[in-house]
Amino acid sequence: MGERGTSHAVTVEVNGEKVSRIVAARQLLVHFLRDTLGLTGTHIGCDTGNCGACSVIVNGKLVKSCMILAPQVDGATIETVEGLADGDSLSPLQESFHEHHALQCGYCTPGMLMSATYLLRQNPDPTDEEIRRGIRGNICRCTGYVNIVKAIRAASREQASGGRPVPAAAGEEV
Amino acid sequence: MTITSTPVTGEATKTWSGRSMPRKEDGRLVQGQGSFVDDGGMHGQGYAWFVRSPYAHARIVSIDCEPALAMEGVYAVLTGDEAKAMCQAPFFAIAPPPGSLMQEWPLAVDKVRYQGDAVAVVLADSRETARDAAERVVVEYEPLTPVTDTVAAADPAAPLLYDEAGTNVAWHGLFDYGDVDWALENADHVVKLDRLHFHRFTSSPLECNGAVVDFDRGTGVVSVLSNYQMPMFAAMVVGPTIGVPMNKFNFVSKDIGGAFGIKIGFYPQIAALALLSKKAGRPAKWTEFRTEHMLTAGHGNERTFLDVEVPVMADGTILGLKVRAFDDAGAYLHYEPLGAVIWSQVVPGCYKLKHVRVDYTEVVTNKCPVVPNRGYSRMQHLWLVERIVDVVAHELGLDPVEVRKRNYVQPEDYPYETPNGCIYDSGDLPRSLDIALELAHVAEWRERQRELGTGTGRRIGIGIGSTLDSGTNNFGQSRIINPDLPFSGNGEAAFAKLDLFGEINVNLGTTPQGQGHETTAAQVAADILGVTPEDVTVTTGFNQANNSYVGFSGTYASQFAVSGLGAVMGAAQKLRHQIVKLAAFALQAEEDEIELEGGSARVRGDEERAIPFIGLSNMVYTNNAGLPASLLDECDLNARYVYVPPFEVPDTVAKTGNLTLTYASQVHVCVVEVDEETGEVKVVEYAAVDDCGNRINPLVVEGQVHGATGLGIAASLYESLDYDESGQLQEPSFYEYHVGTAMDIPDVACGDIESPSPFTPNGAKGMGEGGGAPLHAVCAALQDALGAGAPVVSESHNHWARVYELLHRDPGAPRGVEVVTRTAEPGAGVESL
Amino acid sequence: MLLEQVEYVRPQSLDEALEILANDDGAAPLAGGQSLTNVLKNRVASVDVLVDISRLDDLAGIARTADGGLSIGACVTYDELDRSADVRQTHWLLGEVAAHIEDQQIRNKGTIGGNCCLSDPTNNLPPLLVALDAVMELRSRAGQRSVASADFFKGYFATALEPGELLVSVTVPPMPAGSGAGYTSLAVGADAKAMVRAAARVTLDGGTIADSRLVLARVAHVPVRDTDAEARLNGGDATEESVAAACAGVADGMQPIADVHGSSEYRRQMAKVMARRAVSQAVAAARGSRNGSKAGGN
Repeated sequence: MGERGTSHAVTVEVNGEKVSRIVAARQLLVHFLRDTLGLTGTHIGCDTGNCGACSVIVNGKLVKSCMILAPQVDGATIETVEGLADGDSLSPLQESFHEHHALQCGYCTPGMLMSATYLLRQNPDPTDEEIRRGIRGNICRCTGYVNIVKAIRAASREQASGGRPVPAAAGEEV
Repeated sequence: MTITSTPVTGEATKTWSGRSMPRKEDGRLVQGQGSFVDDGGMHGQGYAWFVRSPYAHARIVSIDCEPALAMEGVYAVLTGDEAKAMCQAPFFAIAPPPGSLMQEWPLAVDKVRYQGDAVAVVLADSRETARDAAERVVVEYEPLTPVTDTVAAADPAAPLLYDEAGTNVAWHGLFDYGDVDWALENADHVVKLDRLHFHRFTSSPLECNGAVVDFDRGTGVVSVLSNYQMPMFAAMVVGPTIGVPMNKFNFVSKDIGGAFGIKIGFYPQIAALALLSKKAGRPAKWTEFRTEHMLTAGHGNERTFLDVEVPVMADGTILGLKVRAFDDAGAYLHYEPLGAVIWSQVVPGCYKLKHVRVDYTEVVTNKCPVVPNRGYSRMQHLWLVERIVDVVAHELGLDPVEVRKRNYVQPEDYPYETPNGCIYDSGDLPRSLDIALELAHVAEWRERQRELGTGTGRRIGIGIGSTLDSGTNNFGQSRIINPDLPFSGNGEAAFAKLDLFGEINVNLGTTPQGQGHETTAAQVAADILGVTPEDVTVTTGFNQANNSYVGFSGTYASQFAVSGLGAVMGAAQKLRHQIVKLAAFALQAEEDEIELEGGSARVRGDEERAIPFIGLSNMVYTNNAGLPASLLDECDLNARYVYVPPFEVPDTVAKTGNLTLTYASQVHVCVVEVDEETGEVKVVEYAAVDDCGNRINPLVVEGQVHGATGLGIAASLYESLDYDESGQLQEPSFYEYHVGTAMDIPDVACGDIESPSPFTPNGAKGMGEGGGAPLHAVCAALQDALGAGAPVVSESHNHWARVYELLHRDPGAPRGVEVVTRTAEPGAGVESL
Repeated sequence: MLLEQVEYVRPQSLDEALEILANDDGAAPLAGGQSLTNVLKNRVASVDVLVDISRLDDLAGIARTADGGLSIGACVTYDELDRSADVRQTHWLLGEVAAHIEDQQIRNKGTIGGNCCLSDPTNNLPPLLVALDAVMELRSRAGQRSVASADFFKGYFATALEPGELLVSVTVPPMPAGSGAGYTSLAVGADAKAMVRAAARVTLDGGTIADSRLVLARVAHVPVRDTDAEARLNGGDATEESVAAACAGVADGMQPIADVHGSSEYRRQMAKVMARRAVSQAVAAARGSRNGSKAGGN
């Protein structure tokens, strides 16, 4: 039987780096990332799982890290916004967001980029409607989504025309 | 005219201003390297959690903090009474009596006045412990009858929020311009509307409020790391209350996750945190979560318009309007009753209304305090005017396009003086409308509308929203509310310097929240200093230690392009002047021979005679022996400039004067499809034409248009804050408050016109708030879909049930509008108009 | 976002999970957590121990039953329903409804079991499962029992689950020959919470409706089969007029709960519209010999 308790040992691979910590059972994954690991790129915009600012990819699946407890991800591979760029080289979506002014305050941007990354992995050539469905769970208050849709579309076209692809998922889907 | 621009990357012009440039800010933000308030902290900090009232209106009988203090990890608990005892005065009141008697302290004292009112605040060693402990603070309340209806609140028989004020009316004023009685008597028609209601909502930035506050008992310095968007306003309000002079504050902000005016409202929390820090002897960090934000951070103004009377001539000329307005400030006067005058920046809207009487009442109710919300106070009035114009067209059987064009301020009328002395600087509204109609394919939609007709299950509606985005306000207008206030004019500061190795640095007094100030300031400075925007480092955020601020510093009221960039231009020009002077000395040339290019100063026409900026820095900072004292006196390579717009103090009796410097205009066209059986509304086409004068960075401007449009559409169809009769907020989180998603908000076709402002240093106008145009346009589209003889769209928020009611209202039931037509010969006696 | 102190345990087997649930009244199963986590954040319910069942193989996967129906593990996510070839082949609409639950993140975590066991009247799947005659398979240490979906939902956040009992799978019978299903929602925003939903299944015999299921959601605390309307539909013509006539009396006498999105009366009217549209969809799907209409959606 698994250990029962108010704190748990958790080992995860975050952006390619293996980390182990003792976490409180009540700690949400987003607080684990931000407060325990100091990965503050993942943001908090609501407290009901509606805004998507905390979106990360766990075992290849896009999730909201405020809707998962830290002990639940033991053994998982986690991708956050901090892992999107390859060193100083921005990912094609990051580039595209910049070029198309798809961010203003930048607060939703990390979650939005994770959703867009997941979307293009699942569907490399989405229609505008599919893009909008893909980011339905990410609220942006600044852009009216206009340039975000444009940036994702442009990144997908860039990829289709032989540009750099969206990085492949880390970890297996489970 | 250009329609939707894409980034310009080539060397389109010699100058950087005016170019669509991707932003300097983006690099860190797309990598999750932004520095938002919750990302930071201070050594030794505790975590704060507020104890908040579940009641809308109640007397505080007792507070027992012992169970909380007994918990391990709890540093301190501060109650309202304790906080008051540590204060020198309640918060500064903008209003004269009776509003000034409606006192507010950092935490509630004796009474709570809205659901979420803070009665105490806990400091503990972790976020979790703070919340756990806050739940153990035992507060006994004696519930009182809540006041939730705006108009009823003004009734002398209503329960009082503040016994000491003797009324719930915080301020009342009559704004009477022209001769509306004469106009009503002489008009061919008088269109009367019973009631129009602009709803309560919030632009709710995605990042909630937050602050880390340290009250250093050794130095007396209060450090505030926060996402406050108007820091020196907070300092001026909080300082006298907690007894801290301005030079002992150190307000700092970095990246801010949106604000939209809402982040002007949390100074009580900052005061409470300062006192909590003082009591506990350590910094207090508070991170607001969404539910707390929705309940307490501030909502937009809700306004009810009663007894609207509109004099109209047979040809559709609208002479003016008469109305009683009741504005709901919520429980405390956080920025109110400033809104009671700010609307009057746009008295006639986009139109040449000459006779206007607004009887304005500001009330307090047991709801969350209101704070400036994108389009603050003008949006409500502009919606009223736009509803009026739209209803007039429908009721008189006139073309809504023609009625607008007939009544618009015309291009040749600028500068146009409104009935209350405001000066509309420039614009071309008829052309804006034409472009918007074309972008929205209105001709095709009219055809489709005819094909569908009514009763087929679906209807098409086409609506226009014409609006103004007044920017750079004259704080002298506050004296119309309270003649004793020591405010007038406006201003913003900037610093430009050449650093030790010749680097260029610009510090702002603003608190950008996505508006791209680092980029546009760099564009402007680059042009003046002969470098590229890449060469200009603009310090992120606000830091009081930079000394780059004035009393009105911050980012609000659509003014950066004018006041912020005006200051940057001034500072850069001062710095340029010093650079030129030093270079002329170093190169043994005349000052007028010096030109700046590529980070060097050189003598025009002589490639050999040049000195890089690092050389000039060296001369001043590190190698200055022998440099003439006069040169060192003038050239310290640190240039501070304060831009002050040209304003006079308004006439507080007549309530007239130039209240704001620029008027960007927006004309939006919206096409909706309405499901007749359910009332569901889908925006199927949307166009926005913006005219904000010279655009420094069109890409950024267009982004602002998109954003304001998105928020407005969401507010018109999805977002509303409603209280039940017991004063409980029905949408206290994003679970209930349906924020517009990417599937709800349509694509927007953008067009633009550039009518330079003659009053600003760069021909630009402030923009970004957007004047609530989508609310106007969606309502007009719904009115159009309803067709002839339908009820008036009288609410700014139209969810499906409301649209359904409008579609299916009994034909015999009141429509909310009446047209009284004069029996005498039309047009008699109006020549003098 | 700060939860109360709580224990967490991840049992290695279903039996272990049932053991813990049986022994501790304060134990709550945690699957996708897309509702429960919110409950915990808001501190509106107190839980002693969260029993993480999300990794249990016994609760995973979608299997084809011998009779051509589906056996869906309680921890199958909405996204898995959406992407399942088996689901789409025989119960297309079930996949389609799952595909329109909120957003991708929630679909990647939220489970059919959680959607049912919370018995939140706003949830998407319960009315459809009732319309499809689904059966809930419940297990406890005492053994296993089957409960018809129509009997499973007992009230606002209340189900037929006994203490210590866990929903392990949902069995969806094959669509009867000549049948089709429909599903409509009146939502406050795209793929958002609904004010009224209707789910229908009709079986055609030529131009006649031989059998029907019409289930309404959000007019009461639980999905409600409108047997009166079904009786009016059954034996009637499968024409728009006839369907409309049969649905005109839907929800009469019911008192849907009013809120900021609409009055009780409005919801009652909308129930009629949604019912008619759902049945019409079902008829069209049956005609197209599809088990759920392409036009279905949500």
